[in-house]
Order: sequence, then C-alpha cells, then structure tokens
Amino acid sequence: MMFLSIRQLMARKKQSLLILLGITIGSAAYVAISGMMLGFQTYILDQLVNNEAHIRISAREEILTAADMASYSEAAHVFWEIPPSGRKDSTRIEYPLGWFKKLDADKDVAAYSPQVVAQVIFTQNKITKVGRIIGSQYERQLKVTNIENYMKSGSFKDIGNSGNRLIMGTSLMELLGTRLQETILVSTGSAQPQMFKIVGTFETGIKTIDEGTAFVSLTDAQKLRNTPSEITDIAVKLFDPHHASIKAGLWKNSSRDKILSWQESSAAVLSVFKTQDIVRNSMTISIILVAGFGIYNILSILVNQKRRDVAILRSMGFSPKDIIKLFFNQGMILGFLGGAIGLILGFVICVIMSRIEVIPGRMSGPGNYMIISFDIIIYIKAFSIAIATAIISSIIPARAGGQLEPMEIIRSGGQ
Amino acid sequence: MIEIKNITKRFPNTPVPVLKGIDLKIEDGDFVSLVGKSGSGKSTLLYIISTLDHPTEGEVIYDSQNLKDFEQEEIYQLRNHNIGFVFQFHYLLAELTAIENILLPARKAKEVEKRRGFAMELIRIVGLEGKEHRFPGELSGGEQQRLAIARALVMEPKYLFADEPTGNLDSVNGKIIMDLFKKFNEEKGTTIIYVTHDIDFAAMARRRINLVDGVLE
Repeated sequence: MMFLSIRQLMARKKQSLLILLGITIGSAAYVAISGMMLGFQTYILDQLVNNEAHIRISAREEILTAADMASYSEAAHVFWEIPPSGRKDSTRIEYPLGWFKKLDADKDVAAYSPQVVAQVIFTQNKITKVGRIIGSQYERQLKVTNIENYMKSGSFKDIGNSGNRLIMGTSLMELLGTRLQETILVSTGSAQPQMFKIVGTFETGIKTIDEGTAFVSLTDAQKLRNTPSEITDIAVKLFDPHHASIKAGLWKNSSRDKILSWQESSAAVLSVFKTQDIVRNSMTISIILVAGFGIYNILSILVNQKRRDVAILRSMGFSPKDIIKLFFNQGMILGFLGGAIGLILGFVICVIMSRIEVIPGRMSGPGNYMIISFDIIIYIKAFSIAIATAIISSIIPARAGGQLEPMEIIRSGGQ
Repeated sequence: MIEIKNITKRFPNTPVPVLKGIDLKIEDGDFVSLVGKSGSGKSTLLYIISTLDHPTEGEVIYDSQNLKDFEQEEIYQLRNHNIGFVFQFHYLLAELTAIENILLPARKAKEVEKRRGFAMELIRIVGLEGKEHRFPGELSGGEQQRLAIARALVMEPKYLFADEPTGNLDSVNGKIIMDLFKKFNEEKGTTIIYVTHDIDFAAMARRRINLVDGVLE
C-alpha cells in the first residue's frame, strides 16, 4: 500500500507540505531548545557535581535553646542571669578520624578530601575583598574535584603542602588588582594576617566562585586560622554522584555533623532546571500537537474523500488491514520525514549556536562559546515524539477507513 | 459454477424482504443479464453473488464451496484472483495513471511485473492505446469505463460482475462496453453477470434473468 499512500500524499502537495513543515519545526525546535538548555544544564551540573564535593561534611551549626540550658543538673548549681543564646558553632569536625575510617571502608566513596574552609579578607595594598579560602591536601583535592581542568595559569599542585602559596579565581585577582607571583595579605579576622603568594589562577565560569574563592594547602589554612590539626569540612566524592542524596541521608542518621549532598546545596539551581525542562517540553508538545491535529484532520478528511476508492479497493480483494495501512502510512511518512528533516535542521541550528561567542562565564564553555548539547538522547527523543505524534494522529482516521464497508459506500452511490 | 440457494435479503427497518428465496445456477462461461424495475433487488442479488454483500438467509456456493465456510482472507483472495467488478461509476483512482489503475489488483497479488504485458494488451483491446500514462481526469466518460473494465480483467478472473456498466454512458459508448463484455466472454471464457436497465443491452446476454419484487420471474 506504500505506493498508493505516497501517490495520495503527492496528490495533495500543499497540505502534505504544511503538515511536514509543522512536524519539522516541532522536531527542530525540540532539538535546538534542548541542545541549548541541556548544554547549559550539563555544564552547570558538571560544575556543581565536580567542582565541589558530591557530599560535604562540615562542622555542625546548632542554635542554643532554653532546653539546652536545662540540661545542667541541679547539683551543678548553675544559674543564668542571662542565658546564652544564638548559634553554637563548633567550627570544626569533632571526630574526623571516625569519619576517615568510615569513608575508607565505604565502597561507594571514590575519594575524600579533608578541608579547612574559612571566610577571609584578601588585602592588596588598599584594596580589600571578602571571600573564602579552601585549605586542602592537593593530592586528595584533585581526586575529589576537577578544579585542575579550570586552571588558567599554574597547576593546582603548586599550592604544595605548605609555604603560603595560593591559587585564586581570575575575577578575584582582577578585583584585587594583583598579578601572578605577587603576594597578598589574607586574614581570618580573628588571627594574625599572613602573606600568601599567588601561584596560579582558575576560572570555573561561576561568578561566585571565581570572584571569591582561593585555594591553599591544608596546613597553611590551619595556620591562618590558628587551629592546627583541625578541619572544618570533608569533601566526599562518590562513584555515582546521583546516589549522593541517599548516601547523605544515611550518614545524617548516624552523625550530628552537617551533611549536605550536592543536590541539597544546589536545590535552587536544580529547580530552575526543572522549570526549564517543563517550558522546553511544553513548547515542543504545543508545536507537535498542532502538527498532530493537522495529520488527524487531513487524514479524516481524506478518509471521507476516498470512500469510493476504499470501495473499489475492497472489491479488488484489499483487506481492511490494507485500507488501514493506506491511510496510516501517510501519517507515518509525514512523521518520519518531518522528524528526520527536523533533526537535521535542529542539528544545523545547534552547530550555528555553538559558534556564537558569549560573555565569559555566562552560558559559555571553553573558548567562551555557547554550550550546546549534542547528546544523542535529544535526537532520539525528538524523533520518537514526531513518530509517536504521527502514530497517534493517524491511527484513528486510518481505522475509520478500515472499517468502511464497501456495500455501504456503493449503496450510498459512492458518496 | 456459482449456485445460489434460497437467498433472502432483508434490510433493517424494512418490513418487506428485497430478495425472497431465490435459487439460481450460473454455469462457467455463462453470459447473464439481470434485469428488472428499480427496487426489484437485481443489484442486491448481484452483490450477494459477488461476495460483497451477505444474504440474510440462504447460501452462495462457488465451485461446490459454500461462502459461509470461507475465512475472510479466502474471500479477499477470491475477489482478487477470481472476481472482477465494474460499477456504474468507474471508481478509478484519480492519483494513478491508466496503466497503474489497471494494475491495482495485480499490486495486491504482488504480480505487477507479471501482469504488465497483459495490462498493455488490455489497454489496446479497450481502445486506449497511447493513453496508458494519462490520469483518469484526462479521459472521457466512455474511456474511463473501458479503463475500469480493463482493470476488472487484468487478473483474468473467472467471473466478471457489472452493475449498470453502461448506466452513465451514451448509446455508442454503451455498445462498445457491451461488445467488450461479449468479446471477453467468447474469447476468454469469462463468466459475466451484469445488471442493466437497457433492454437492448440485456438482450445481448445469452441468458436473461428477470427479477420482479425480489423473486425470479
């Protein structure tokens, strides 16, 4: 029946082309919009997942309440004129060795890096900037994050194990008006400021990190805070980052330290992604729906117009299945062709978009070009949507055609 | 041979049956005209004999095989290989050329190439030589009906059923069609059963069956 289906399609060139155009635009829009949004999402997710820890264990933060004060026994004879209140901040992980043993034994843990994270003031001459330093052992830190990929100058290893060497974001360096190999003053506010030499720079593309973060060795950070041998955080990398949320939940049950998976710490970003996905899918479904209704309408009209043809075909021995195929094929041809052309068009749009230069750090990848995803899944989904639309919108009129009885058509004079 | 036994046909919401207990035998190679007034049931009888319609009661037997015992697929096969139809309206497919229309039954039987030579011969026989690549819209009414006859004969069917094949044609074209029927009946041995209002065309048949109010006269 394919021969006849093609002939009938070709006989209605304008209608067929319009429907084809609808499916093509729908598929191309899906590919292009998904390519752009998923490219951006993948890039951001990669940074969220791999720039930071999959799970961050940090010193717990507790708020003192009246109930906490009541825990003293009467024998202690403690009486408060003004009871303590506010945050009870340990600023250190109480029992890091316990965590190290636990993490070493956990088969899901790929690596972990003990850290000292502190809020600091960077000073260069008269310029000051508030930010944070992350003190870590570079061997461990490199196993946990992919910061080395974002190094603009120097190597992450250059922070060494001591020696007050520092790597900072390019934006932070610009804001401080300093250069590589120069020294700046870093202060925690509570301990003596110390001089650090800038040995490298990085650029992740995330403004908050690039403008306010510096990496130093764990020992140097501990010295800066005047808290030798203490750590404030443990950054954990799992073999499967998607299990971070479940794993963090399990660990929370057995520890009073603050445990945060990357999903929790990036909840706001992930919810934006969800909204983006809804918008993207809604747009595509709207376009494809219009095309689907087009197929449905055209085939329904065609089935009515071709009643005589159905009668004569049935009298020649064509079965109801053949008649269904006759109309169904037409919907499928439109879906298949529209989907295929849409994929090619979408791909071309994606290639063009990937060559658009954007402002560094805003949806830009390496080389400051727009990040576009060319994930095969996008193309499979777009094609599947086109075919599914064609199937759904063709099957009803095609079945109606198959159910036409030749005698009814002949008795009604073929009308 | 086709044997019809005690055929009755009632339509819903119609108290009087259209056909009332008809018995009929049509021998192979027969040339039969079915005549009668409008509403006498001749077209209904033709469609029941030709498998397109079902009797309310009674049996239609093709070469000792009762149609009731046929699977649906066997009925489709029977229509495709052994039966040709010609209707009052030509029912040609407007998107296909003359030769493609003729070869439609062969397309179902997957015998397009095998039948192409015969289809060209039929084109010549029905007087459409040189017009095989024209679309139906480019042919006259008489040519369209001759084309429909060629299509009905392309599978060299044993039976040809025609329902008022000359109904829409002038007398000259009507005569051409009837001559073609006669030619195929005589030369190919095709069993032809046709319904007609025209007394002259009815007289061209070897056997004339007259239906009056649903019974054979």
